[in-house]
Amino acid sequence: MFGRKAFFIIPLLALLLVFSVIPALSQDDASTVTWLMLGWGGAEEVVAQFEEENPDINVELEQVPFNALFEQIQVRLGANSSDPDVLSVDVPLVAAYGLRGWLLPLDEFFISGEQEDWLEAATEAGSYNGELLAAPVSTSTQLLIYNADVFAMAGIDPPGEDERWTYEYIAEIAPQLTMDTDDDGTTDIWGFTWEQTNRIYQLQPLPEGLGGDAIGADGLTVDGVINSPEWIEAFTYYSDMFNALQAAPQDDTVGASDLFAAGKLAMYIAGPWNINRFIREEVPFAWGVSRHPYFADGEIVTPTGSWHIGINKNSENREAAARLVNWISTGAGAEMWWRIGSGDFPAQKSVLAMFATDEQFEEAPFSTLRVAADEATVGAVPRPVSPGYLEYEQILQNTFQDIRNGADVEESLNLAVARIESEMDKYRR
Amino acid sequence: MSIHGRLVPYLFLLPAVLLLLVFNLYPTLATLSESLHVKSFLNNERIFVGLENFERIFRDPVFRKSVEVTLWFSILVNPIQIALALLLALLANQKVRGISVFRSIYLLPVAVSINVTTVVWGLMLDSDSGLINGILATLDIPKQPFLTAPSHALWSIIILATWKGVPLWALFFLAGLQGIPESVIEAAKIDGANRRQIFTMITLPLLRGVLLFVLIADTVANFLLFAPVQLLTEGGPQLSTNLIMYETYRRGFVYNDLFTSAAMLLVMLVFVLMVILLQAFVLRRRD
Repeated sequence: MFGRKAFFIIPLLALLLVFSVIPALSQDDASTVTWLMLGWGGAEEVVAQFEEENPDINVELEQVPFNALFEQIQVRLGANSSDPDVLSVDVPLVAAYGLRGWLLPLDEFFISGEQEDWLEAATEAGSYNGELLAAPVSTSTQLLIYNADVFAMAGIDPPGEDERWTYEYIAEIAPQLTMDTDDDGTTDIWGFTWEQTNRIYQLQPLPEGLGGDAIGADGLTVDGVINSPEWIEAFTYYSDMFNALQAAPQDDTVGASDLFAAGKLAMYIAGPWNINRFIREEVPFAWGVSRHPYFADGEIVTPTGSWHIGINKNSENREAAARLVNWISTGAGAEMWWRIGSGDFPAQKSVLAMFATDEQFEEAPFSTLRVAADEATVGAVPRPVSPGYLEYEQILQNTFQDIRNGADVEESLNLAVARIESEMDKYRR
Repeated sequence: MSIHGRLVPYLFLLPAVLLLLVFNLYPTLATLSESLHVKSFLNNERIFVGLENFERIFRDPVFRKSVEVTLWFSILVNPIQIALALLLALLANQKVRGISVFRSIYLLPVAVSINVTTVVWGLMLDSDSGLINGILATLDIPKQPFLTAPSHALWSIIILATWKGVPLWALFFLAGLQGIPESVIEAAKIDGANRRQIFTMITLPLLRGVLLFVLIADTVANFLLFAPVQLLTEGGPQLSTNLIMYETYRRGFVYNDLFTSAAMLLVMLVFVLMVILLQAFVLRRRD
């Protein structure tokens, strides 16, 4: 009797043993690194190349929408989770993550010369307390991108590549470029908007161009700063575009870039990553770029800063994660990421130099990227450095959205002051 | 009885009590402890501060606003949901042909997850391309900023929560209605009672137990409402939908301040307990 049972049990146990060992063995063969990032279109292709060069590493992409990315990082790293191993880091958040000890210092993972290829400002922005916590991948700038066909319809001359329009002139022509083409009482083509209608990254040039500041000198105070006359003037301009002039769409269910690609937007301030997209999608109208606008009595201020890449301090695959981070932020990997990954501007001097040397950029439409490369050197003002940047940015996002929907500008900014000050309290003790 | 015999009932209770201790009492006490501390970002220490967190949140305009919003929300949503649920249950209790089909249809929202409900309602309420504004447009009513105006947004959340909540509560009422003996109603009819009198003097009093349960469960469920706020409005516009539950989550996990969040959570717990005690008291007094 026992013999017959054993006949079944022993092979069963053997099978169980084999199956429990197989995953462990395969784990030794290839370690899996998870990378939490935005939904960048070309990311998989770039990662496939990395996996080909590093057959012992599997990269699993976790792509999430913009705000979800910050929330996920906050919740998962805040809970000391061991995944994701690698994360895309919006550069102004480096200080906040550093303060909380979430990121692994990266200096030891780069050999001499590799770090020197990064733009100094990018390296500095990726460091906290003298340690590199997030390796620079991209940098950024913003341009005025326009649909020449819509301009022709309205009988207005579009700007030249090196021309820099004033915000005042844009407010003057934007209503003329806003059209109801089928007379059904709803707008079909909008005159103007910002690509990221409620993010400080995109909107900071408005108050700063008028002489305002983004945050107090201590990196915490906002009272008297974001409710100053400059901010009120700047965001009255912003509000008017959506409300008084009705030249910009309040609704953002369809993003500005999709609206533009569909031919339903005359011009907008947007990042050069859109250029690659419009070329790739062969949008069916004539378009061009010009310089970032400024206020007639103010200074030229343009956005800068972009995505860096960091490693979770609790990652169980540090070595593999470090190889991925090194590959994507230096040399051939960085070049590939720029060409087909996110399309963002590279933070590596050697890759940036390709705009000047590569023949590809001599003719339109690729030559517009050269304009962007040059614009990145004009009036670039980084976002505020603060341990509470996330709170600052998220509360301002709500604020800008309220203003866009018609809330009183001064009241909204005062409410933002109360909210941000209350969040910043915790960094003061 | 021997000591041994007296211990036996407690031994049977032990597993349940242990689970309660681990999953209910321990987290509550941990939250209480968190709410009395803060973290110093300057030297990375946990510091005991007594009631400072509570003092701070009550001075905080954002939290005060969310208390106000939560109270308004509760005052509006609970009576609406309970009245509609009772009405729906009375309808479903009619003995007519095909009533079981009607009962299955009205129960459908219970089977849809709150996240799916929220996303679909979000699409319908969209101010530019939503279905509801489309319908209003055919009636020559101007577009309504359902989710983007402070005057509308809380109502939109109330409608969504009601659509989702009413069928479930109606189910409880229906069970209660079916438990009322036919003979009592018959007797009242013979005594000459009209329909209104039957409802107020027989049906309602006999439903009191169910009503008390639904009142309490509904109030708690609405205090804990979270998904629609997070997915549709993020507490806006101008904090008009910033329910305490969402503010607590945002402080704790988005702004990474678990200590303030814990204090808010306790305040909400006290609120919920107070409301439940009040309701129980009001409904019991008539005995």
